[in-house]
Formats: sequence, structure tokens, C-alpha cells
Amino acid sequence: MTSEPAVIKCVIWDIDNTLLHGVYLESGERPPEADPQLVAVLHELAGRGILNALASRNPPAAADYVQKLTGADFAAIECGWGSKADAVGRIAAGLSLAPDALAFVDDDMIERAEVAAAFPDVLVLTPEDAAEAPDWPQFSPAVITAEARRRGQMYAERRRRQAEAAAFGGSRDEFVRHVGTRVTIAPAEPADLPRLHELSVRTHQLNSAGEPVSQDELARHLAAPGDAVVQVTLADDFGDDGLVGAAISTGNDGSRGSVESVPAMIVVTVPLIMMSCRALGRGALDALLAWLCRAAVASGAAELQIPCLVSERNVPMRLALAAAGLRAEPGSLAADGRATFSRSLTGELPALPDWVSAG
Amino acid sequence: MSAGQSAAVADQLRALLAEITGRPDLLSVPDEVALFGAGIGLDSLGGTLLLRQVQRRYGVDVAAEDLNLDSLETLGTLAAFIADRI
Repeated sequence: MTSEPAVIKCVIWDIDNTLLHGVYLESGERPPEADPQLVAVLHELAGRGILNALASRNPPAAADYVQKLTGADFAAIECGWGSKADAVGRIAAGLSLAPDALAFVDDDMIERAEVAAAFPDVLVLTPEDAAEAPDWPQFSPAVITAEARRRGQMYAERRRRQAEAAAFGGSRDEFVRHVGTRVTIAPAEPADLPRLHELSVRTHQLNSAGEPVSQDELARHLAAPGDAVVQVTLADDFGDDGLVGAAISTGNDGSRGSVESVPAMIVVTVPLIMMSCRALGRGALDALLAWLCRAAVASGAAELQIPCLVSERNVPMRLALAAAGLRAEPGSLAADGRATFSRSLTGELPALPDWVSAG
Repeated sequence: MSAGQSAAVADQLRALLAEITGRPDLLSVPDEVALFGAGIGLDSLGGTLLLRQVQRRYGVDVAAEDLNLDSLETLGTLAAFIADRI
């Protein structure tokens, strides 16, 4: 375990007496000015790939006013008269973020106490704390990639995509097609490694390894004969999400072949498969698994193995493994919390949709 | 577990599935249809939402108890898994 604090992915801001110098509904004809220091913080964090969200006891018009006033993209907006803790819970669920990836800023001590009690892992701050936050390690991701800078905008696209999905009548599969989903799977280049490292740090729900992979380690896999690093990009009619996922595979040349019981059998092992939670429900992970099965078959393998950390957080990854026909030996969960999921590559493979292009 | 209890859970699961996937036709899906793949075509998002609702409604943590998630093979196997534990 490292002692580094978790990196914050989203800051949830109160409006009255926090982002605004005053109370929106009590200000009559002229709504209050924004707090210039906190507006600077909003934009600084967005530039580092950290999302901003609003949680306010106000009508939705207050959020519209704050958006116009600050020019910031808010990834989620909760305006209403319910509890702040419930609003934080809905934002976490809507953005698929764990509480320890969230910070909450409010001038009201009671609101802060309520959120802290409901979510002990949320970083709860006063507006004065938040003004200093850009200097803290929790708000300083090591690498800031192009994807990271666009993150706030991509979540705004996601809000529009979700609204369309809610109004759509068909299955998710039909929806993925309806919105013109395009997935590409291609070998990674050295220039992709910072983004791939970042993904390995930031992904949890759709991550098999459960621990970061360094750029050096990625570079070693890129260079090693028989190893492959592939990356996945995702786009649809709502926007381009860029590089959202990757997988490392080993044994593609048969060098790591043989399982003990069947010495002649070639096995391809996938030490890491990961996908941004933005891709959840959009077919990209299932497509990558189907592609990995086919690539392994092409290299002559009879079996695909994916060691996977079994945790509460990465249940979506285990669901995708199960859906792709991978199974672990019952009772094979190791002391380190990992199990090896595998499937035979003979017989019917998982379907690879026609909106996937492989390079 | 009684067969009646499992059948009642299966009916509740059909309603959950229809809601999660936005497909009212799943209200009448048979017990033995596969949840993943060519059956209902549940993906990891749908599966996660389903397990979350199952845990909330029945207090059964399927992911913690079933390494391979084999209980999610069909609607009937999931209903039996839950009915065994409530």
C-alpha cells in the first residue's frame, strides 16, 4: 500500500455563499457575483481533468446562472430541496465514481457534517479549504493528458447521451447502434503510454489488475516479442471519447504456452484489461474481449486466461468476463484476492459487432 | 426454499430487468433464457445495476458469494440463488 491520498476526480460545489458571494434567492433583481478565487479554482481543476458538479438547495435556474457566470462545464447538477447527502449519492452514481474520488465544498457546517456522516470517504471542505486545494496532492494528478483536459466537456456530452437513452424505446444494443457508436481496436504506440498509465490509475470498475501499471512496464510489454498492447477508442454521434481502454496480452507467439496438464497447449494470458467507466454500457469492453479471443485464436492459442482481482469495485469487469464466457476454478481465489478466469477458444466465440474496426 | 418463493422472486426480477433495460417485453421472458449473450443480452452495466437492486431489495450480495457469477446464467438460476438466501 502507498500512503498517497486518493486522487479526486470530481468536486461537488454548493452555490449559495460558496461559488456565489451571497444567496441566489435572496438577492432580488441582481443575483450575487461569483467568488473570483473559487471560479479560478473551478477552471484550474477542469484543466487538470478533474470534474466539477453542483449540489444546491435552489431551483435549477440557479445552476444555469452559475454556469453562465463562471463559464464552467458541470458534469452533474443536483438542484432541489432534498438532502445534500442524497445529492452527493446521486452524483456519485450518475458519474460512476466511488466516494473516495469525490470532494464536497459547502460553507454550511451542517451540510458538511451530513455529507461526512453519510460518506466518510468523501473529502469534505470549506470554501476557504477549496481555495487552497489546487496545491494539494489529491488535486494534482501526475500526468494530465489531452483526454483529461476534455473530461468536463465529455461528461456534458454524456449528460445529453443519457437523456437520449432515457427517451429511447429499444434495447441498449439497439441504442448503441442508434447513436452511431464506433469502436476501434489498434496496437498502442509509445506516444499512447502516458494515457494508458493514467487509465491504469483511474480505472477501477472496469480494471482486471486492480493496480497501476507504470509507463516503464507498459514500454516493456510494447517491446517484448510475443506481447501485445492494444488500445481502444470510442466515439458516437454525441462526441469523441478518445482513448478509453486497453489490454496487454502475453504469449501471442506461443512462448508462454502450455498449462501443466496439457503441455502442448498454447495459452494467451491477459495481465491487464481496463476501460474507462465512460465506456460502461456502450459495448466497448465486450467488443475488446471478443477481439482478444479472436486475436488469441489467430496466434494459435487454445485458451485465453485473464487473471483478475476480485473486489467489490470491479464487479462490472467480472460481469463482462462472465458474459464473454470466462470462468475461474471454483474456490481458486488466491490469498492476494485474485483468480484466473479462462475460456477455451474452440467453439463459438463472443460476437464482435460490425461497428468495431480493428487495426 | 419453496418453488413458490423462487417463482415470486423470478417475477420481481423480470420487472427489474424490464426497468433496467427499458424493454417491457422482458416482463414475459421465460425462466430458462440466458441473461448474457444471445439470450437477453445483458451487458456489464445492466448486470451491475441488476446486482445492485438485488442487494438492496433482498440483502443478497451475489458478487461476493458467487466468484463466477454463474447464478446469473438465467433468470431462473438467479431467482433460485436469491430464494435460497432469503
